[in-house]
Amino acid sequence: MNVRLLAAATLLACAPVGAWAKPIAFARGTTVMAEYGAGTMNEIQAFYAPRYWWSLGASWLELKSEDGATQRHIELARANLLAKRWNLPGAQANAFVWGGLGRATGNDFAGSTLARNAGFQADYETRRVYAAFRSDLEESRYFSHRIDTLQLGWAPYAHDYDTVATWFVVQGRRYTGDLVRGTETAFLLRFFKGGVWVEAGASRDGKPQAMAMFNF
Amino acid sequence: MNFSKIGALLLGLLLSVAASAKTIEMEVNGLVCAFCAQGIEKTLKGFPATDAVLVSLEHRLVAVALKDGADIGDAELRHALTEAGYTVVGIRRTDASLETLRAGVKPHD
Repeated sequence: MNVRLLAAATLLACAPVGAWAKPIAFARGTTVMAEYGAGTMNEIQAFYAPRYWWSLGASWLELKSEDGATQRHIELARANLLAKRWNLPGAQANAFVWGGLGRATGNDFAGSTLARNAGFQADYETRRVYAAFRSDLEESRYFSHRIDTLQLGWAPYAHDYDTVATWFVVQGRRYTGDLVRGTETAFLLRFFKGGVWVEAGASRDGKPQAMAMFNF
Repeated sequence: MNFSKIGALLLGLLLSVAASAKTIEMEVNGLVCAFCAQGIEKTLKGFPATDAVLVSLEHRLVAVALKDGADIGDAELRHALTEAGYTVVGIRRTDASLETLRAGVKPHD
């Protein structure tokens, strides 16, 4: 079993709206996200935010080892809270916290087990630069680990509502706990306009990543 | 004509201008991405008085074109944008159409 891949995919599954995105798009907004990860992960997430400062949702995740021999399915119900927002002229900063509860099944352990997730994110962005730090704790009877993620983004031009936004993103991720140790770096190219967001890239070892997200 | 009549006349004139304003412009802090604009647009389109909405991230501008004879109070607008997660730092009313404002915020060639 490729445990590094499994840990990375588990993190992605438990991030509220995928890598780098905010866990709450806007009040009375629905977010749907689908992600493909190197043929070893398929994922769908959906959230609804009654207010701009909290959202509820669920996720479905399928994980496969590179040889396809090992599979896991994780289903979680999640709540996200915007603890604090700073609205500045031409900039915004946020502090989010979240938690999730559900079950995990897999062919590397018997039956199903309770899965828990807790995390936080602090971010700052303008229309040209972005910085975020996120920490996730994933726990179950069979695994417990923490993943810290730092993301830095740069936009070659300042987009507006009616233009396509383009971002270059560098991501560093550090794993602790009983599954994986080490730091992983990835490079991503992201586009979004209106409520549609697509991104693609690869980690330094060449594994492709792609995501699509829709807000409405 | 005494001062009270002049005052009443001026007040009436001001109210008339306010009532006939076509567009409300708001300066908003925290506008940095399309999702911000999308949420604000969705919120403001929920007002029956709203005809159309313009959001310019570059100019930190949110503008609401009003339907004929309709209006939205400043307090309502501030509340709506605060509830959407943003900070209103200024509101003004204008007779300029949304198209005029849109032309003004477009990048120059």
